[in-house]
Amino acid sequence: MAANAWRQLLDDRGARAAIGVLGAAVLAAAFAPWIAPYDPTLQPDPVALRLVAPSWQHPFGTDPFSRDVLSRVLHGARVSLGVATGAMLLSVTLGAALGALAAVVGGWVDGVVSGLVDVLIAMPRLLIVIALVATFGTLSPWWLIALIGGSGWLTTARIVRAEFRDHLQREYVLAARALGASRWRIIWHHLLPAVAPQLAVAAALALAAVIPLEAALSFVGLGIQPPLPSWGNILLDGTDYLTSAWWLVVFPVAAVSLTVGSALVLADRLRVAIAGEEHGP
Amino acid sequence: MNPPLLSVERLQIDAEGARGAAPTPILRGVSFVVQPGETVGVLGASGSGKTSLALSLLGLLPPALTARGRVLFEGHELLAASRGARRALRGRRLSIVFQEPLTALNPRMRVGVQVAEMACAHGERDARRAMQGAVDMLGRVGLAEAEVRAQRYPHELSGGERQRVLLAMALLLDPALLIADEPTSALDVTVQAQVLQLLHAQQRERGMALLLVSHDLGVIATSCERTIVLHDGLVVEDVPTHQFLSAPEHAQARALVDAVRPAVRSA
Amino acid sequence: MTRQLVARLLHAIAVCAVVATSVFVLLQFAPGDPFATALDGADVPPSVRAEGRARYGFDLPPGERFARWTGALVRGELGYSASRHRAVADVVGDALPRTLLLVGVALVLGFAAGVGIALVQTRHHRRWQDRLFGVLTLGGVAMPEFLVALLAMTWLGARWRLFPVAGIGSLGDAAAWPVWERIVDLLWHLALPAGALALAVASRVARHQRAALLGVMREDYIRTARAKGLGEWNVIVRHALPNAIGPVIALLGLALPSLVGGAVLIERIFGWPGMGLTLFDALLARDYPLILAAVLLATLLAVVARTVTEAVAEFVVPRRAREP
Repeated sequence: MAANAWRQLLDDRGARAAIGVLGAAVLAAAFAPWIAPYDPTLQPDPVALRLVAPSWQHPFGTDPFSRDVLSRVLHGARVSLGVATGAMLLSVTLGAALGALAAVVGGWVDGVVSGLVDVLIAMPRLLIVIALVATFGTLSPWWLIALIGGSGWLTTARIVRAEFRDHLQREYVLAARALGASRWRIIWHHLLPAVAPQLAVAAALALAAVIPLEAALSFVGLGIQPPLPSWGNILLDGTDYLTSAWWLVVFPVAAVSLTVGSALVLADRLRVAIAGEEHGP
Repeated sequence: MNPPLLSVERLQIDAEGARGAAPTPILRGVSFVVQPGETVGVLGASGSGKTSLALSLLGLLPPALTARGRVLFEGHELLAASRGARRALRGRRLSIVFQEPLTALNPRMRVGVQVAEMACAHGERDARRAMQGAVDMLGRVGLAEAEVRAQRYPHELSGGERQRVLLAMALLLDPALLIADEPTSALDVTVQAQVLQLLHAQQRERGMALLLVSHDLGVIATSCERTIVLHDGLVVEDVPTHQFLSAPEHAQARALVDAVRPAVRSA
Repeated sequence: MTRQLVARLLHAIAVCAVVATSVFVLLQFAPGDPFATALDGADVPPSVRAEGRARYGFDLPPGERFARWTGALVRGELGYSASRHRAVADVVGDALPRTLLLVGVALVLGFAAGVGIALVQTRHHRRWQDRLFGVLTLGGVAMPEFLVALLAMTWLGARWRLFPVAGIGSLGDAAAWPVWERIVDLLWHLALPAGALALAVASRVARHQRAALLGVMREDYIRTARAKGLGEWNVIVRHALPNAIGPVIALLGLALPSLVGGAVLIERIFGWPGMGLTLFDALLARDYPLILAAVLLATLLAVVARTVTEAVAEFVVPRRAREP
């Protein structure tokens, strides 16, 4: 992306806040083992320290197994954001590849990809993923990434296909072709850089879509399996104690909402910055 | 001499600067008067602030533009008046016809309803009577088969017909001043002439004042008693039109007149 | 118009065919079958196992089973649910109306609230009302439906006891109560699940509707409407809204699949006995006919709703845009 759009993005207060929150979440995930006050799986005293309300010793309280919720949320960021980032990268890469393929090759390939997108986009993604996971039993985080990422390429493919088709007809591409540049060279050196900003938007949107998906799966017991913490399964531990232990619900909900909200704001501001660059002087 | 209908004193309009930059002036202190029943042309190149001037009189400037100075209309100090007071004047005493007759009409509303709405906005409670008034007015501005046409949507009418609809709307409540902002520049030449003729016929019939804003010297020369030339946010000429045509003082005005002189002479 | 309608119908059929086939194929690869828990114990003689499976056609090759199943589906037969000991059609017949009620109420409430919020934001553009609702709707978009549901359940349900946290009714033998009482009881139980879902809808609708309205507010005919001396509310509601609502309806259609997904989770959280809860139970019990029917119906619901919203959006797009 060009320097102008970056500057405009960094000038925007909302975008700065979003980048700050996402950055903090990534740092928390990266350094969880060092900043977390306790071992997230340690059950020091399941009787005396069970469901302790937030205090100086346990800022986010403890769960029914006496584990420290702050430590679990921090380590959960590692797992949840790890799965989300992996799934996001997979879905954006897959989408970009399929969209590019459809646009460049055209013909029946385009027909198949576009048709597939049209059909799949009408289906509830969460439902399909739940059905798949439930059918195969519980899955390792890698399979979760594959499944969540593999089901999310539709919008990216749509965007990339439209952008590619647009750019393929522009003069600079025609000129490059006339000069004898190969198809793949044109894609790699001209088209991909041209759609990079849109891909950034798609990536931010994909991130905003996969974080809740992982949380939902783990929350219904089909995603990340205990004792490994994730934002979703901390919530699952809390559902039986809604009347007594609000902290089991509030902190993971806040973690999910803040990261998702930041990703959405970032996508929104990115789009504005790109539009500003295209329409600007 | 009677008090003027409209008196504009040192009107300044500034465009908000981007990110703390100094505001850009659009009008830099414009003063002129319009007498009741008078026809005044405001001539200026595009970008001279003509449209902003027209919009500021109605209080319809976009939020990024701010107006300062004094605008007296029928004893009301417009720039200081409350929003409600200005709204009550808009359409009833002070009307406007816009440039682009297609985009100036709501594409999803029948044109008759759009005209009738003018009456409803100013206290008409009986929808059927408002509609009847609208159809009558559409007929008077020369829309053939007004009864039928009133039920049409804007895209089903021609450019000239749409301009007549806008005119009917503006004239419906017998305003004291009609502002016409480039009323003919989006139309074919033949239709232009018809619309201008109509404008003047209606003006004479009602004794209404007309402020005709245009970049087209031909339009102003053929129809205005007095011409004001705007250049670079200032009034550079304010004289009777015949005097202006024969001896324009300001260099910019001279250039304008010279450019179209053959056309004006033959007209 | 007819051609478009036919195209949409074909598309809907294609979607359902693809979903049905893929779910069936996937279940073939899945471990276990509906009889695994009941019949695969060491104490069950092999002949009983074989007989049990044969009774429901599970001994046939997959190809033939697929042919039988689709054949039955085309005739409108959904099969027999082994876990509920009832015909799938009956199970679905009970559950589907409840899901439709939940999603329908959420959709209508959410859409109305979202449009209302956007109107207020447009009226007070860049003032505190606009900012306040901007923050609130961002929160509503950022927070997945099931998290809203959990928060609502924690406070409005469990702590303050304003609403029931589970189920669809608490009158016991419902038939013994007057209709009015039954409706109130149903709505009372519907409040939290539908409210949580409606909040998500409202936030999305409000954000898109606001953007669409502000775009239309720059049009020339808005200036004309103001020049008539119309009040600002009249300008927005009569002139801007009809021109700005079409794309939002279309967008709602696109967002419907995710709404259906959210509804599944919400049903599970609140124990609302609709299609979502049925699906979860069926998945746990490996009740294939029921799983297939549930997934298929949820997809069908999403497709139908989307087709309807597209048609509505088509109907309300600006007439100008329909000119050749």
